[in-house]
Amino acid sequence: MQHKIATLALGTALALAATGAYAGNSYPNDVRIGAYLVHFDASASDITGPYTVPGLGTSIESTTTLYLAYVRQLSQHFQVELALGWPPVTYAKAVGPAFVGSVPYNGKRIASVRWFSPTALLEYSFFSPQSHWRPFVGIGVNYSRFYSRQITAAGAAVSGGPTSISLPASVGPAVTAGVLYRLSTRWHVVASYSVAEVNSRLTTDTAGVRRSSEIHFWPNAVVISVGYAF
Amino acid sequence: MFKKTGRVFWAVFAACGLAGCGHDSQTARISTSTQRGALAVDPPLRVASLSASAFAGELSASASGKDLLQLAGTPACGVDFYYLKYWTVDPAGSPTEVSGALMVPTGSTSQCSGPRPIVLYAHGTASTSTYNIADITDTGNAANAESAMIAAVFAAQGYIVVAPNYAGYDISNLGYHPYLDAAANADDMEDALTAARTALPHTFTPQTTDDGKLFITGYSEGGYVAMATVKAMQAAGETVTASAPSSGPYALEALGDLIFFGQVDIGSTVFAPLITTSYQHAYQNVYSQTSDVYSSTYAAGIDTLLPSPLPLTTLFSSGKLPESAMFDSATPSSSTGVPQIDAAADALLAEPTSPPYPPAEAALFDAGFGTPYLINNTYRVQYVDDALENPDEAAMTVIHGGTLTSGDIALATAPTIGLREDFKLNDMRNGGWAPEEPMLMCGADQDPTVFFEIDTGTMAAEWSAQVQAGLVSVLDLDATPSGPYAPLQQGFQSAYQALVSAEGASTAIQSFHGSEAPFCMVAARDFFAQVP
Repeated sequence: MQHKIATLALGTALALAATGAYAGNSYPNDVRIGAYLVHFDASASDITGPYTVPGLGTSIESTTTLYLAYVRQLSQHFQVELALGWPPVTYAKAVGPAFVGSVPYNGKRIASVRWFSPTALLEYSFFSPQSHWRPFVGIGVNYSRFYSRQITAAGAAVSGGPTSISLPASVGPAVTAGVLYRLSTRWHVVASYSVAEVNSRLTTDTAGVRRSSEIHFWPNAVVISVGYAF
Repeated sequence: MFKKTGRVFWAVFAACGLAGCGHDSQTARISTSTQRGALAVDPPLRVASLSASAFAGELSASASGKDLLQLAGTPACGVDFYYLKYWTVDPAGSPTEVSGALMVPTGSTSQCSGPRPIVLYAHGTASTSTYNIADITDTGNAANAESAMIAAVFAAQGYIVVAPNYAGYDISNLGYHPYLDAAANADDMEDALTAARTALPHTFTPQTTDDGKLFITGYSEGGYVAMATVKAMQAAGETVTASAPSSGPYALEALGDLIFFGQVDIGSTVFAPLITTSYQHAYQNVYSQTSDVYSSTYAAGIDTLLPSPLPLTTLFSSGKLPESAMFDSATPSSSTGVPQIDAAADALLAEPTSPPYPPAEAALFDAGFGTPYLINNTYRVQYVDDALENPDEAAMTVIHGGTLTSGDIALATAPTIGLREDFKLNDMRNGGWAPEEPMLMCGADQDPTVFFEIDTGTMAAEWSAQVQAGLVSVLDLDATPSGPYAPLQQGFQSAYQALVSAEGASTAIQSFHGSEAPFCMVAARDFFAQVP
C-alpha cells in the first residue's frame, strides 16, 4: 500500500513537472541551500540470529547536514521540489543491557552509515506569488539508499568480529509543511518540517553468522534554507 | 552559471547515490581451501567474551556452576569463546567442514596473555546432532555444561583451549559421526588444532600466542579420542607435551565382548547405533542390512538415527530406541555344535545374576535386558561364539574374575565378526605402541558406563613398563584417597555420596559417569602443570 501511495505521488509530481514551467513566472526555477536537522524517530525489533542474547536493540542518532533542493514552479500555487541532504554519516547506537558478556553495549555507537535520500515533493503554496510570506504543504516520495556501511570497533566487539552490514534501499511516502519568506525578487528564505517513512531490514554478517533486525525510521527534519530563483 | 553548478551538484549526488561514496565494512574471509586443517572462516566468530569476574558470576548463578567453581578454582583470567569452522576429512578421505571451539584466556597478567600452552580437548559421547561446544551463550545446547567445564578448568586458568565438535555434529553435513574411529577422530583433533593455530593471531587478543606446549585430554568418548590423537601424533613425529585421557573405552574389543557377555553398561543402547553406523560407513562389514544386528523393533532407520536433532528422551518415548534393554531378557542359546563352546556361550548369554555378581552390579546389568530389546538374539549368539572361539584375553580375564597383567590382555588373533574386527582395529592396544611423553589416565573404578578395569586397567597392564617408569600414571577416583590427587578422590567420593543421599542410589548411578568428568579434568590440569 505504501509503495502504491509513493508511486502515485511520484507519478503525479513527475506528470505535473512534465507540463512545463508556470508561464506567468519569469523565474520558474529555484535552488536552495541550507541546514537539514534530521531526527530519526526509529524503532527497531530486537536483533535476532545465532549467538545473540535477547534484548539487544538499536537506535539512530540525530544528525545535521547540508540541505540542497531544486524547486520548479508549475503554476501560481503548485511546485515540485527535489530535495536531499548531503549524505550524512549516521550512527546506530546500542540499546539494551549495559554489557553483553563483558563487552560494553548500551549507548555505544555500533555502526555508521551514509544515506543518499532524495525526496520528490508536490507542494501547494498559499497566497499569491507576490506575497512576502507563503506557507506551503506538500506530499511526495522518499527514496533512501544506504552506503559506506561501517561497523565500529565497539560494534565489532559485540558482534564478535569483522562485520558486513546490509541495509536495503527503501521507498516510502513523505510529507512537508513550511513557509517561504521572500527577501527580493530572486532571494528568499524557507523554513520547513518534513517527515518520511523509511523501512529497511538490517542484516549483519559476522564470520558467516547472520543477524537481523527490522528497522522503521520516521526521519523528521527541520530545514532552514536560503533560495535563489532564476 | 547556475545550470553548470546545478549539474555539478547533481553529478556528485548521483555518484554518491549510485556508486557509493566510501566503502562498506567487510566480514571475515571465507577460505577457498578445503585442505585438512584449513580455517574456513578467518577470523572466527567470537561468540562471547567474559571477564574473570563475569565468568565467576555466571557460574555462581547455578548450583552446578557453584560446584564447578569450587572445584576448578576462581577464574584467574577472562575467557573469549570463538566458534571455529575448519576442514577435516571423513573416513573415506573426502574433505568435510566441521566446527569447534577456541577458548582464549584474557587479562593483563602473564598467566592470561602472551605465550600460553594449548589444551586440545575431546568431548564425550553426544546423542544430539546440534552439539556445539563453542556455544557458551545457549544454556539449552547439550554442550553447554561441558563447554563451561573446560572453560572453567583450563581457559580461565590460562590455557588456550581447542575443542572440536567432531564430524557429524553442528554444521557438519556428514550425516553420521565417525564414533570411536581412531584415525578419523585423530584427524579431526589435529585439524582443529591446525585451524586454531591459524586463528590465534587474528583474534581480539593477538598478543596471546601458542607457547609450543600441547596438552591433550578428553573425557569418555573424548578420552578415547584423546588417546587416539596422542597415538597418531606420536606416530607422525609431532610433539605432544603430555596427555590425560579420561574414562575412555580404550580397550574397545574387550569392552565390546564384556557387554555382549551381559555386562551391559549404562548408555549401551545409545553407544551401539553410534558404533555400528560409524563402522559400517568406514568398513562396510558390520551388516548387510540393519536387521542383521538389530531386532525387528528397532532395525528400520537405526543407521540414520544418531546423532539426532531430537533429545534422547524423545527417541525413547517415541520408540526409536530402548532406554536400556540392549538384549532380550529371554536369553538365546548357542548352537555351534561344539559342546564346550555352546556350554560356555550359554553361560555368558544368560542374564547376570547375584551371585556371582554383587547385588548392585547384577541390578545394573539386569537393566540391560528386557523387551523390546535392541540387538537381535541371532547376532548376539554369533558375537559371543566368536568371542569364545577368538578370545580377547583381557575380556576373558575380567569375566572370570582374574587380575589383568601384561601377559593376559592380548587382542583376539582373528575375529570373524565384522564388528569385532573393527573393535580390534580401533582398540588402543592395537599397533604395539606406548606413550613417549607423560600420560595420566583418570577414571573411577565403579564407573557403570565406561568400565574402568577393562579399559584403563587393560591399558595400564599393556603399558606396565611405562607405569613402572612413572611415564604413565593411573588415577582411580574411587580408590582410597592418597597421593597428590587425594583431595580430588576425596572430593569425588563425597560429592557422589551426597548425590546418593539426595537422589537415591538407583538414580544417582545414572549420573556417576558424568560426575567424574570435572574431577578428572582438574586432575589433568594439575598433571599438566607439573610437566616442565
